[in-house]
Amino acid sequence: MKTQVVTILTLLIACVYVTAATAAGGDEAVESLVFPASYKAMSVSNGGTISGTVTFDGAAPEIKKLEITKDAQVCGKTDKFDESIVLGEGNGLKNTIVYLMDISSGADFPSGAKYEMDQKGCQFDPHVRLLPIGQRLTMINPDRINHNVHIFSDANPAFNKSQPGTRRKMNIKAVKKAEGPVSVKCDVHGWMNAWIAYIPHPYFAVTDENGKYTLDNVPPGTYQLGYWQEACGTNKDAPVSVTVEAGGTVTQDFTLAKMSK
Amino acid sequence: MEKQSYKNTLLIVIGNLILLLAVFSITAFAQGKTAPAASEEGKALYDDKCAHCHGIEGAGDGSAAENLLPRPRDFTRGLYKIRSTESGQLPTDQDLFDIISNGMPGSSMPAWSEILSEGEQWQLVAHIKAFYDGFEGASPRLIDVSGKVPYSEESIAQGKEFYTNLGCVDCHGVIGRGDGTSAPDLADEWGFRSWPANLWEQWNYRGGSTTEDIFKRFIGGIAGSPMPSFISSFRLGLTDEESARMNDLELKMDGDGLSDTEEEEYAALEEKLFMFEDIMLNVEEGVELTPEEQTKLDTALEPILEKSWHLANYVKSLGPEERPPAAVGDKVLRSQYRAEGLPGMNDEAWNEIQEVSYFPLVGQIVIDPRQFNPSIDSVTAKSFYNDNEIVFLFTWDDRTKTLPQTDDETGETVEDALAIQFPVKISEGPTDPKPYFIYGDSRPVYLWSWKVAEPSTVIEMNAKGIGTATVQADQAPIQAEGVYKDGQYQLWIKRSLTTEDRNDVQFAPGVFIPIAFSAWDGSNGDVKTKRAISTWYTFVLDPVPSNKRFVYPPLVALISVGLLFGLRSSVRRRQNT
Repeated sequence: MKTQVVTILTLLIACVYVTAATAAGGDEAVESLVFPASYKAMSVSNGGTISGTVTFDGAAPEIKKLEITKDAQVCGKTDKFDESIVLGEGNGLKNTIVYLMDISSGADFPSGAKYEMDQKGCQFDPHVRLLPIGQRLTMINPDRINHNVHIFSDANPAFNKSQPGTRRKMNIKAVKKAEGPVSVKCDVHGWMNAWIAYIPHPYFAVTDENGKYTLDNVPPGTYQLGYWQEACGTNKDAPVSVTVEAGGTVTQDFTLAKMSK
Repeated sequence: MEKQSYKNTLLIVIGNLILLLAVFSITAFAQGKTAPAASEEGKALYDDKCAHCHGIEGAGDGSAAENLLPRPRDFTRGLYKIRSTESGQLPTDQDLFDIISNGMPGSSMPAWSEILSEGEQWQLVAHIKAFYDGFEGASPRLIDVSGKVPYSEESIAQGKEFYTNLGCVDCHGVIGRGDGTSAPDLADEWGFRSWPANLWEQWNYRGGSTTEDIFKRFIGGIAGSPMPSFISSFRLGLTDEESARMNDLELKMDGDGLSDTEEEEYAALEEKLFMFEDIMLNVEEGVELTPEEQTKLDTALEPILEKSWHLANYVKSLGPEERPPAAVGDKVLRSQYRAEGLPGMNDEAWNEIQEVSYFPLVGQIVIDPRQFNPSIDSVTAKSFYNDNEIVFLFTWDDRTKTLPQTDDETGETVEDALAIQFPVKISEGPTDPKPYFIYGDSRPVYLWSWKVAEPSTVIEMNAKGIGTATVQADQAPIQAEGVYKDGQYQLWIKRSLTTEDRNDVQFAPGVFIPIAFSAWDGSNGDVKTKRAISTWYTFVLDPVPSNKRFVYPPLVALISVGLLFGLRSSVRRRQNT
């Protein structure tokens, strides 16, 4: 009873002094992808191709070197850098997801594909992982030190499991709902972060180190083409309309600027 | 005879009833009770009692939320820390009820069991569940607690090994005070700072501190926080020998590489591991297992659960369940007289004092800037004195050693520090008021200020109110030594009993001397008045054991004997007459 009174009093005092507090911030809400209401897999013949380059708009920003605060003998072997903006040839922007927003039927995912994410040297690789719903992900830990795989899901169940050095490979369960990209973190090494997009159809691509992407085997038709980039945001509100001819190729480039905070 | 058989029948009936009830309760209430449907009453209760912290819409953003750490739970994501269910599962209704009823120790969540009726608490459970769609039709899988391993020294020793090897130390620290090397950077899924539990303070375990509670946190994780499930820590389905072999092969793989036969051997072990993991993932994905698969999984999990019980037993062994009583009444700090010289910091002599005196601290919330979420919750003390000097040994837990650095939020220079406060003039009786407990008032206080950057220096200060603390021009020679180890500071201070300075406190045996503390944790943003404080406590120098004990008893004996002799002779005289 006493503690309750004390707690309630504390709360009251806390209420009175709300203004005295500094606003500690939650993570900025990250925009997500757009998924079709339903998707039907079928065989596609004579599909077309959409490809292009995503380029960063403006001068290359200063790339922040990450501070390796622990396990330096393993994690500090090579310098680590912030991966929110990684530029290649001609300011090509890596790790951008380019995808069809409104496709409702098309090819199935390639069968027998394996999906992995490496944690070598205390860095997730790839930084942006596309993972079909219903597929398991293999987390690789060659570091022989303790990691934990913490996925910040919302639509899918919570996930946070330990992967000590003795678990070189750990498979993690498939999810049912399209979602994301959601953040992946290792709490042991606070600088480690990556993204997983749980995708319902195969028409998603992640740009390579020079900002190039390709979506192929696209059934002929007109589609809304979207992008997502962790530091530059999305074009959800203004997607680009592209028309794919049977066996044809469409080129669609994007130039993205960093979101203002 | 008839009566006897009637009795027997009655006994059998009662016995059966008990059995039936037991079976019924095991099967029907394995998950505890379930909540009623959400109702208007539940909403009204919630809005009245819970919304101030948790928000009307349940997003953990009530008007008081901003100043609370841990933050009030956001009910809209279905992430619940304290569960009896497996990793990635929702809590049971009973889990939610228990939290409402018992509160969450060490947080701002109070226990409602004495304020609300049981029915009202169930209405709240129903209302809280309505904030998250995922509860509909969910039947979360319970953590199997049936294989509990009894508490024993052997079990504790095994658990300690796992504690060290599985990575617990990364956050909770080498001996468990929450001071692991990852601790300073931890945040929850909402981006708010998350402190790993100081495992020595079991009275602060949010979900309770029974061995079962600890086991459930270890297996199920603490959803939304950095604490993962450790069910995945072991190689499922492999024997200890197979697991050790796999380890050796992996080491060799990273070194010279494997021979062809070793590669085959490794692949076979991996295949076996993945076969069992596959069954477990099927369970997690909601696939119904065949009875054979279920048996396989249960058998494979058994040694893992057993190891987890060892770990729970080890954690349980770390500390007392109850917070130590404050240093008042018979627990008051008594400086012990020690003629043969005063102990240095690491002297064995300190072990002579078995019970340390415990001074609880709270956040300073009277004067701006305030500390609503102090990370230092107590200071403990021991003391000795002799005819000339007094020595103190103070300890306090701090998860991070923070040398002077700039605080990201305030731009202030923060660092770890401790101040010990005495009145300059010791009050002469209960009616004689003490100085104000935070840095005094018109009645001045005398302070010993210690800071981590200069661990062998204590500075004498005086204050006559907040913001008036000044360093004394004339510093008495005070010896000090402070060290940080395994999440705890130790500070040793020695001063002469009396000084010439009128602004110093003077120590004398038998006098109750007020004492108070302020503690700063730099990594918690503590600076100036933003800190943890105590109210006034008192301590006393035990009276000097008197030499008079060698004088009075023989004297009394002599007198008694003399009186006896006198009595005898007077009796004899009377008899003679």
